[in-house]
Amino acid sequence: MSIPTQTKASPPSRTITAVLKEYAGLLIPIGVVLFIIAWPTITGKDISREAMFTVLLSIALASSLNILLGYSGYVSFGHVVFFGLGGYVGFYLMSVHEWLLWPAMAAGGVSSGLLAFLLGKAILRLRGGYFALATIGINEAIRAAINNFTPFGGPVGMTLNFQVYKNYGGASEALWLSFYTLAAMTLIVITVSYFVRTSKFGLGLLAIREDEDAAEIMGVIAPNAKTWAYVLSAIIPGVLGVLFFFKNGSIEPLPAFRLHFSIEMIVMVMLGGQGTVLGPIIGGLGYQSLRGFLLTSPIFKNIQLAVAGALLLLIILFIPSGIVGWLRKRVPALRRVLR
Amino acid sequence: MKKRWMLPFVLLFVLVLAACNGNGDDTAADTAADTTADTAAEATADTAADTTADTAADTTADTAADTTADTAADTTADTAADTTADTAAGSEEVIIGFTASQTGKQNVSSTGQVNGLQLWMDSVNAAGGIELSDGTIVTLKSVTYDDESNTDRVQELYTRLATEDDANFLISPYSSGLTAAAAVIAEQYGKVMITTGAASDSTYQQGLTTVYQAYTPASRYLTGALDLLQQTDPDVEKVAFVYENSKFSTGVVEAAKTYAESLGYEIVLFEGYDPDSTDFGPFINKIEASAPDAILGGGHFQDGSTFARQLAEKNIDVKFFTLLVAPPEPDFADLGQAALGVIGPSQWEKQATFTSESAAEAGLAWFGPTSTEFVDAYTGAYGGDEPSYHAAGGYAAGLILQQAILEADSTDPDAVKAALDGMDLLTFFGHIKFDTTEASHGLQIGHSMIYIQWQDDGGLMKQVVWPAEGATADVLYPKP
Repeated sequence: MSIPTQTKASPPSRTITAVLKEYAGLLIPIGVVLFIIAWPTITGKDISREAMFTVLLSIALASSLNILLGYSGYVSFGHVVFFGLGGYVGFYLMSVHEWLLWPAMAAGGVSSGLLAFLLGKAILRLRGGYFALATIGINEAIRAAINNFTPFGGPVGMTLNFQVYKNYGGASEALWLSFYTLAAMTLIVITVSYFVRTSKFGLGLLAIREDEDAAEIMGVIAPNAKTWAYVLSAIIPGVLGVLFFFKNGSIEPLPAFRLHFSIEMIVMVMLGGQGTVLGPIIGGLGYQSLRGFLLTSPIFKNIQLAVAGALLLLIILFIPSGIVGWLRKRVPALRRVLR
Repeated sequence: MKKRWMLPFVLLFVLVLAACNGNGDDTAADTAADTTADTAAEATADTAADTTADTAADTTADTAADTTADTAADTTADTAADTTADTAAGSEEVIIGFTASQTGKQNVSSTGQVNGLQLWMDSVNAAGGIELSDGTIVTLKSVTYDDESNTDRVQELYTRLATEDDANFLISPYSSGLTAAAAVIAEQYGKVMITTGAASDSTYQQGLTTVYQAYTPASRYLTGALDLLQQTDPDVEKVAFVYENSKFSTGVVEAAKTYAESLGYEIVLFEGYDPDSTDFGPFINKIEASAPDAILGGGHFQDGSTFARQLAEKNIDVKFFTLLVAPPEPDFADLGQAALGVIGPSQWEKQATFTSESAAEAGLAWFGPTSTEFVDAYTGAYGGDEPSYHAAGGYAAGLILQQAILEADSTDPDAVKAALDGMDLLTFFGHIKFDTTEASHGLQIGHSMIYIQWQDDGGLMKQVVWPAEGATADVLYPKP
């Protein structure tokens, strides 16, 4: 089996298989996600939609975080701040100013991106553990600020009138709409993740991950690259925050800025394989399916957290590079297809 | 390479820590929930149903005396429940779905609530189920999951309850935030949901039609205290509000402020403090400067008791002092003299005596056990634990559903919904009546808070001082 290398293949003579092989790193993740999206329609059950909503949300959030954590190696422990802030901004626009879901989602994404840009300028000069600590601090600070911010309802939070779902054809349709919107966002974030991974910008990030000083000497403008990676990884969580709390019907400071959720995102990225496009998808799917199964299984439901903890411990102990990383290491043929 | 290894380890350590923490709570929940599930299923079923049925003062004597009769009744009930489920035509198994916070920060309150609900289910089943007029016997079965005290999966779990487990009726999780998320699902699938442990008003002002609240809403937590104040001393003019800056307390106090203004009180101080406050000096100075006759506010147990202690230490002369949440807790007595005269609202207290007689007086229907019977059954079932108002709320949610099924004479959701809309009932938990207007459908309008006051009766004791019909003592006024 001879695989034409990218330099040798001239565009006109490329066969479909060659194109497929070249873009396998994108097509496989998209295929997996499309299957997840189709699952509720295949089973025809509402519960599949709800379960897959949780899975897709995790995949999209983990993939966003992967742009920063996986590619540039910077651990953002407080990434949930973008989810919460975006959610709050969008929710405010929907409940108080009666915006429709989509512009509100855009506003949520923009505000999160903006926050990431400003923060990036300030705290991305910190490296390693100091950066991780700063992100936790920022999450707590924003939560405290929102807790005292009256237009956002302060500690009471905000609720959405059930009647708003009528604008989308009723509550049932609104839930399906949320699901398909989330599906679209997930596909977008994966595509973005793939193109960052394969672009020059992405190579710069990978260089930063390996050795930031060396990367700078080689011509990567590290502060800029890191800031843009941070912004890119913040926009989608902001958009998804609006969608999640729209579906949830209410928003409060504590659930919106729950630090534990951030840690779960990191676990999903690590589990699937950081720095790969497919990794966060496998990680999100695996982690949430496992938790969902344990939570509702009659045998495990009382000890679900302990079992989940033990299983994750085993997986990370024996496959520290994540599932995709392990596959790539073991099966050289997969290196070209799995990115 | 070493660094690469570190991160997963640190992460896992954090995760395992979180898991252990959760499970630490879990064990507590488990001991309570499991032992109760086990012992309660057998022991309670007998004692509980028995006490309810017999109204005996001495439970033990009664159980001893009735063992044979009981076992007989019980086995028949059980076999009836088991066999009739699929054989006999005149029986129906109703599935009650709910999530419990087996882990996470709501664990303690949620466990109480679930214990109360479970006790209700066990006693109904032990008594042979709910009998409808056509002879159909309705027995109950619960399906429950852990919501981990957070909103992430509440909607998923409630969808599972509604669609996969075919729950006929839903009971809310504990806390307003989780309930708001669950309510969206209940409404979407047209499932009747009785909420308990969810006081916040906003959930019921979202245009929902199938959600019914058992608790007095947050907006009326302190209004009764103002009524009490007005009746006790009409000359009082100046009122101060000092409260915790959290979702619940802010909601309560804002509504109380509006009410106070409508009664003509002058609000001389309206200040929120941080939930972690330990020094109330600055607030006490402000209180001293504005010289109010009455102080209302507080938040939760820790801050409330600290506030009460520091206020007493500074010898602030105030005639009327009401705090949220802290005073009904038995531990509040540890404050000694500082607790004396402090008033607090509670959803339910065992001293409050709602009876079939008081129901007849008020022209209401009476349903379920008396407070004493409930407390006996509960302590019997849960190894001597006294029921908190969360537990009473859980039991009451069940009673409301049971009465609605009886009234509707069917388990059809629409019929039950109609019965709930028309419900006007007195139970050991208090008066139950729901708002049926479109703007706030399902909001509790019958039930009102009970106000307790710590009084010195040869030792500190909680006395119910309001409402007048349930009072066990006159209010101690002015506060010593």
